[in-house]
Amino acid sequence: MKDDYQLTDLDRAFYEWQLDVPGFGEAGQAKLRNATALVSRAGGLGGPLAFSLAAAGIGKLVIAHAGDLRHDDLNRQILMRHDGIGKPRVDSLVTTLRSFNPNVEVEAIAENVSDANAAELVAKVDIVFGAAPLFEERFALNRECVRQNKPLIDAAMFSLEGQVISIVPGKTPCLACLYPEVPPHWKRRFPVFGAVSALAANIAAMEGIKLLAGIGEVTLNRMIYFDTATMRFQQIRIQRNPDCAVCQSQPPS
Amino acid sequence: MPQVTFSYTGQLANAAGTPEETLDLAEGALLRAALDDLASRYDGRWREMIFDDGGNVRSTVLIVLDGEQATGDKNAISLDGVRTVMLMTPIAGG
Repeated sequence: MKDDYQLTDLDRAFYEWQLDVPGFGEAGQAKLRNATALVSRAGGLGGPLAFSLAAAGIGKLVIAHAGDLRHDDLNRQILMRHDGIGKPRVDSLVTTLRSFNPNVEVEAIAENVSDANAAELVAKVDIVFGAAPLFEERFALNRECVRQNKPLIDAAMFSLEGQVISIVPGKTPCLACLYPEVPPHWKRRFPVFGAVSALAANIAAMEGIKLLAGIGEVTLNRMIYFDTATMRFQQIRIQRNPDCAVCQSQPPS
Repeated sequence: MPQVTFSYTGQLANAAGTPEETLDLAEGALLRAALDDLASRYDGRWREMIFDDGGNVRSTVLIVLDGEQATGDKNAISLDGVRTVMLMTPIAGG
């Protein structure tokens, strides 16, 4: 990650209130302004996640999301706009993010992450956020993050539940340590409230902000799991799989 | 007779129709035997999410014993001294 960013007066005006967070300050803000993040899909999870990263003043967002906006996206995809229905989702998300914080560079890619583009996308960034609804996309990101030694924050939800895993290659389990293969029962359509997605998204965003800025304690080797039906939150200790086909050759750092 | 609380997440909870239940188990009971018992109570979806076609616990089922992921052979896990078992099937919704 670059380390040459000098905060401007505009930055100080924009981010004044978070500069007061103990341990963050101008040094932490400069680290965020230096950083580039990839967000895989900008739906119910990736949308609020990208929004919170933009609000925090990350330097650049690379967002991959294919397809045109539909009515049934709008209960959760908060970067989208009603007048964008039938048009590319990337058009809506770029308009929203640029009008919210024009000082954050946004590169929108009208493709979903796949084995074909994962290497190129991951190479562009300092940190990756996995928020896609299909395991094939998440696994492609996981493989590339391990190969390129980039941190991956994986966020997921189903119905009233959510979970976040912070993956640092060589230090933590990777996604394939936990799930060695695509689960046969996962379906593209899942029950979802936008508020649950946004909750998981903002936990993931905060994990990424802490990791980039070097503040707080990132929840390494633990899965954050919550159930909004009961508002029960817990951290589950997770472990590397010594037989993992993806990260077993990655030396611990 | 030890009591062990089983909780389910995601699609597994939907298939069970309950997020958790408590079983009375014999001393030294294996998780595998408890899963067979539970599978007999629910419809086929629950069994299919837990067991593969060969009858083994699926590699994608995350088993959490008292807050820690269980590792090793999922068919040979002992529940000796365990109070809670969380069964998690992978989720990827957004």
